[in-house]
Amino acid sequence: MSRLWTNKPLALMFCALVVLGLSCAHKQAVVAPEPVPAARTQAEPPSGTTEVQPEPTISPAEHPEGAVTAGELPSSLEELNRAGYLKDASFDTDKSELRPDTRDILAADAAWLKGHTTVKVLIEGHCDERNTEDYNLALGWRRANNAKAYLVMLGVPADQVVTISYGEERPFATCHNESCWSQNRRAHFVITAR
Amino acid sequence: MKTSVRFFIVVCLAIAAAAPSRGQEEVYLKVTSPGLTRVMIGLPVFTSRPGTDPAAANNLITTLRKDLDETAVVGVVPEEYARLVEVDPNNFPVTRQRWRAVGAQFLLDGTFAGAGNQLVLEVRLWDLTSGEVAYSRRLQGTVTLAPTIAHTLANELVKLFTGKPGPFLSRIAFVSDRTGNKELWVMRWDGSEAQQLTTHKSIALSPAWSPDGQWLAFTSFLRGQPQLFLLRPTQGTLKSISTLPGVNSSPSFSPDGKLIALAAGEAGGTDIFVVPAAGGEPERLTHERTISTNPAWSPSGRQILFTSTLGGSPQLYVMDAEGANVRRVTFEDKFADEGAWAPDGVRIAYTTLVDDQFQIAILDLRANTRTVIPGPGSNESPCWSPDGTMLALVSTRTGAKQIFITDPAGRPKQITFEGNNVQPAWVAQVQ
Repeated sequence: MSRLWTNKPLALMFCALVVLGLSCAHKQAVVAPEPVPAARTQAEPPSGTTEVQPEPTISPAEHPEGAVTAGELPSSLEELNRAGYLKDASFDTDKSELRPDTRDILAADAAWLKGHTTVKVLIEGHCDERNTEDYNLALGWRRANNAKAYLVMLGVPADQVVTISYGEERPFATCHNESCWSQNRRAHFVITAR
Repeated sequence: MKTSVRFFIVVCLAIAAAAPSRGQEEVYLKVTSPGLTRVMIGLPVFTSRPGTDPAAANNLITTLRKDLDETAVVGVVPEEYARLVEVDPNNFPVTRQRWRAVGAQFLLDGTFAGAGNQLVLEVRLWDLTSGEVAYSRRLQGTVTLAPTIAHTLANELVKLFTGKPGPFLSRIAFVSDRTGNKELWVMRWDGSEAQQLTTHKSIALSPAWSPDGQWLAFTSFLRGQPQLFLLRPTQGTLKSISTLPGVNSSPSFSPDGKLIALAAGEAGGTDIFVVPAAGGEPERLTHERTISTNPAWSPSGRQILFTSTLGGSPQLYVMDAEGANVRRVTFEDKFADEGAWAPDGVRIAYTTLVDDQFQIAILDLRANTRTVIPGPGSNESPCWSPDGTMLALVSTRTGAKQIFITDPAGRPKQITFEGNNVQPAWVAQVQ
């Protein structure tokens, strides 16, 4: 260690700033690094007294007004949903496009909805866990809306169908392999009004 | 009593003013690099003047020693060596020499004082090579603030050697399902003092700090559809900030704190929007209606990094903050998402896919390099420490999803243990 000592502490300046060893150098897009404003090394005058303030107290968030807490659905709706008049649409990994078999299922759903015009449905987009949370939220949104668009194309009034994405947050099956993942990639139908 | 305290302060100010100021603003070690020898600081037993609360003083020293030992740039001469140093009060050059003999390059000399519930610490950092005072400081607070005084001092000492304050007052917000629902939590950077911020029993996602540490933006299903909220952790205040159609996810504050970028969009498309942090009309930046998400503002505020499926698979893109000049920055990944811009504006940490497992990768825009940091299990959601020397990430290497932080040498350390803990967001200090 002593060989590092010289007259000036500047001798302590070491090589490059890199968090982790960079070894492989591959070609990347030509994006110029952003100029960063020069770091302010001028410390505040360290003399004098600093009154150290307590770190702020952290408190939990209040419930905002109008917060919706999930209420119990009327039993008739539950029964309606349990009866399985509407079938869920399933999707391939990382896809939101409708497969031919999915289209057949949605066509049957559309026919039933057109025969029950007072019924309102919520289509929930769901994903398996194999993407990041935020990407899956967007993917589930696409799945739910692609299913809705197909229903509307087949003549279901747009205001009969509402969509939401749950991404990977509400999985139907919780194992970590394809047998569960395939169940979780779906547009799930929930009847919300008779 | 009051008079004597005032007199004491005056004396201390006089001492501080008399101390040589040269070197006080000097940055001793401008950069850090893995595997380097740390700057070693000798920490003698501080003098305690009458009136000092011994327990508080002891607490302060223990915390300071622990803080400094956790950094990669500064180390404290171990106590067993420090004990060997015989202090000659009348001959500082000799004392200096003895500290150097046990490996110290700097000496932090301190005096405690106190009155009532106040604890006062006056320190001077001696450069043992030049024999000059590199830094002097007087810190004061109630005895219960002893750890905070230590964190403040440790932050400043690190800043002296790196130009940036240490992480000792920093906190990490995250999402945890340990209560059975995904709620927002916050903890100290080392994982201690975890506190639950929301009890909405809904789904909370993607927290992001305002640069001043006052607000957390996050997505919640509290009102049914996912919406973007702002939470003030010190007050519990909750405000709605975006109710656009779509996911309202992945907020990122502009560096001046005035704008929030987010992902949303109608009819199944997800694009990047910007909304004033004070509330107001959102502005749409992208119009592709595919999936564009996870915006991240560049440190200069001039560019926004985001994930998009524009070219098929999710890849990272950069655009000007006004939405123009979209260009792709990842080309070698099957999948690239969750880009996080380092405070230096040069490096981007992101989540890539290697052998069907998520791994963290780092793009260096200046050197044109891409480095994958392989680790056991699945590794995602990288997040830089405020000084850019460490990363927080989520890994399944020990089973459930847990938050790890890496030190500047890249060594990972698990800091959460209960339930699944995801989406870390690191801030220098909560205000």
